[in-house]
Amino acid sequence: MKIGIYLCGCGSMISEKICFEDVREAVGSFPDQPYLTVVDFICSGEGRTAFIEELKRERPERVVVAACSPRDHEATFRHCLSEAGINPYLLQMVNIREQIAWVTSSRKEATQKTIGMLRGAFYRVRLQVPLDVMTLEVCTDVLVIGAGPAGIKSALTLAEAGRRVTLVERTPSIGGLPMLFEETFPNLECSACMLEPAMMDVLHGEHSKQIELLTLAEVVEVKGSYGNFQVTVRQQARHVSQSGCISCGQCAAVCPALRSDGRKAIDFASDVSLPHVPFLDEKACLRSKGESCQICQDSCPAGAVALGQFGLTQSLELQFGAIVVAIGAGLYDAARLNGLGIATSSDVYDALQFQQMLSLIGPSAGEIVSKGGQAPASIAIVHCAGSLDQEHIAYCSGICCRYAIAFSHQILTRLPDCRITHYHRELVTPGKHSSELLNKLKEEGRVEFRRYENIRELALMPAVEMVVLCNAVVPSDAAGQLAALMDVPLDGDGFFQELHGQLDACQSFVKGIYPVGACREPMDIPTAVNEGTAAAALVLAGLRPGRKLEIEPVHAEVEADRCSGCRLCVTVCPYRAIAFDDENKKAMVNALLCRGCGACVSACPAAAIRGHGYSDHQIMAEIRGLLK
Amino acid sequence: MSDDSSNALFEPKIIGFLCIWCAYAGADKAGSSQEPYPPNLQIIRVTCSGRVDPQFVLSCFQNGADGVMIMACHPGDCHYKEGNCRALQRQRMLLRILRQFGIEEQRCRLEYISANEGGKFREVVTDTVENLKKLGKLRHALPLDPVLSAAAGNHPASP
Repeated sequence: MKIGIYLCGCGSMISEKICFEDVREAVGSFPDQPYLTVVDFICSGEGRTAFIEELKRERPERVVVAACSPRDHEATFRHCLSEAGINPYLLQMVNIREQIAWVTSSRKEATQKTIGMLRGAFYRVRLQVPLDVMTLEVCTDVLVIGAGPAGIKSALTLAEAGRRVTLVERTPSIGGLPMLFEETFPNLECSACMLEPAMMDVLHGEHSKQIELLTLAEVVEVKGSYGNFQVTVRQQARHVSQSGCISCGQCAAVCPALRSDGRKAIDFASDVSLPHVPFLDEKACLRSKGESCQICQDSCPAGAVALGQFGLTQSLELQFGAIVVAIGAGLYDAARLNGLGIATSSDVYDALQFQQMLSLIGPSAGEIVSKGGQAPASIAIVHCAGSLDQEHIAYCSGICCRYAIAFSHQILTRLPDCRITHYHRELVTPGKHSSELLNKLKEEGRVEFRRYENIRELALMPAVEMVVLCNAVVPSDAAGQLAALMDVPLDGDGFFQELHGQLDACQSFVKGIYPVGACREPMDIPTAVNEGTAAAALVLAGLRPGRKLEIEPVHAEVEADRCSGCRLCVTVCPYRAIAFDDENKKAMVNALLCRGCGACVSACPAAAIRGHGYSDHQIMAEIRGLLK
Repeated sequence: MSDDSSNALFEPKIIGFLCIWCAYAGADKAGSSQEPYPPNLQIIRVTCSGRVDPQFVLSCFQNGADGVMIMACHPGDCHYKEGNCRALQRQRMLLRILRQFGIEEQRCRLEYISANEGGKFREVVTDTVENLKKLGKLRHALPLDPVLSAAAGNHPASP
């Protein structure tokens, strides 16, 4: 086998410290008589040209480059091999600059070490084989799960770039939790006013044709992988045609049954819900009790109500290249906060219930009233309700202090004489504008701030007429099931786990699935919106119409004949890249999902998994070469 | 062989398995600072410390290494989530096996090196070389036992 060894002098950086003549002599005794060429500054334009020209002339079957760190220039030299018509994976590098020339005082020792490491690389490179980049046809349509701010923004960005998007929302309307907020921090901006333009864009905007919105819908099965996901969505019938409805509300006006929120069985989700089309809550409808009521259908002036699908759900089989998960978060159940003594003597509301009370379109039309019907003279706002508490939720939820401070402003606007006490473990208001409201409250001195350590202490505090809890933000109740069916890992707290918390926060461990917004961490609206946009960018960069997906050749592969079916590899793979073929009782690596870490290769007790580009016997050969 | 240990000129042969993401970058960082350390360590680049098959370590001792270093990302920093934890588990298991062969624990060292820890890398290598010099040459080289070599070579002949 003809092997070429190239030494870079790196100016005098390497050649001054290592005796190339001694190296040449030692290499002369290697098997197969490799040739050795010194190219100074081999990474430079001139060096690369000389390197490529000689590769073309000599046609070596394997190449070793001894130069700087492969972290600097392995990609450069692989490219050179390609240009010379040699498979780029037939290259092995030896780091004689950072690991030898720069750190070895004696020239003799440096030379000896160079010879040793060259021998290791030489023995290894002989066992390297050409690897090819495989390609795969992909679907470029995108599934966005959850139509809160993050999901909406993601869908709009993708649609604007020309992608077809299916936006799946389990509730009857879009906008997510923030739609409940009358005024959001830091500017006390009305959330409906803020979100409505984006929501209207989804429904009727310039690119809305690219977006298929499926409300009352849930993802129930996900198969396949990046580029080719097969997804089943189950959708409940709305019983009101979205295209036919004229939003007159006649159906609700005549409906004789009530649903649990006090609205009619067939009604709008709220006064500002979008799409502004009523839906029929089957559980509340008289028909579910065996009656044959169809007054809504009969009275609809547009003929948009159709009860023919009663009790039926529709299953949709869809194909996507990527999935953006934006299902948001939930609130920690206040009932679990035992010992909240302050609560026993007064009205207690969690943050969302209080938002409803503040809402101009809520049950009290924005007035703050106790259950007894009076305006409370005193209100306690309990921050960290369940957060920062080892008995409940250990982390800080990050957003509560800011909306709690917004609450104070809203209360004081409505009830200027109300005594407000904020009880908090920590007071956290990050962000460039977020301190303004807090500072204003403190300057005015109308609100008291008291620190507590244990929530049980609140039992000893002066009685108040109303308590508002800022509950810990916890994963959505849908997170576990959705994660399980996509086989995407959750973190210890139940949020979607990031591929890397800082650099790849919007990617999951499964390629092509992007968790964004509060489903991966408690977060405020702007951050969630940005993440939705970020995920759209990742999808657009990764999947492009007309471009096949490239599969990195450095990946693992199971040799089926040797596989004993123990599934150890399935357990150790961090990327869910190994599936198990139940019929043949064999493991199979999905090369597209594999990131080449080699965990399975070294875990396999039957040595049935081959790591392309880093196989056992390549490494074993390197060991033998180094120790010869 | 035992007289080698008292030989001040004895230079231990050490093989290091360095994960490309943190430890290898840490070694490069040590290089950039251009402060010398002993030349005894020869580095094998691996994708992840979790790729270090225990057989690699055994093979090093079979082929005459006096010491093996496994250098990984710090716990929690693994590029592949938890490969370094697997490396730790395997190293602990290896130590028990090596003891049975009469190979001292100090000969198989696991260290966490971040990409910035060039200084720590240099110190750890220097320290290992000194320790191995005191310990002397590997007295009980792993026999090229048919079972072990079968295990080490049990892939099909061609790559």
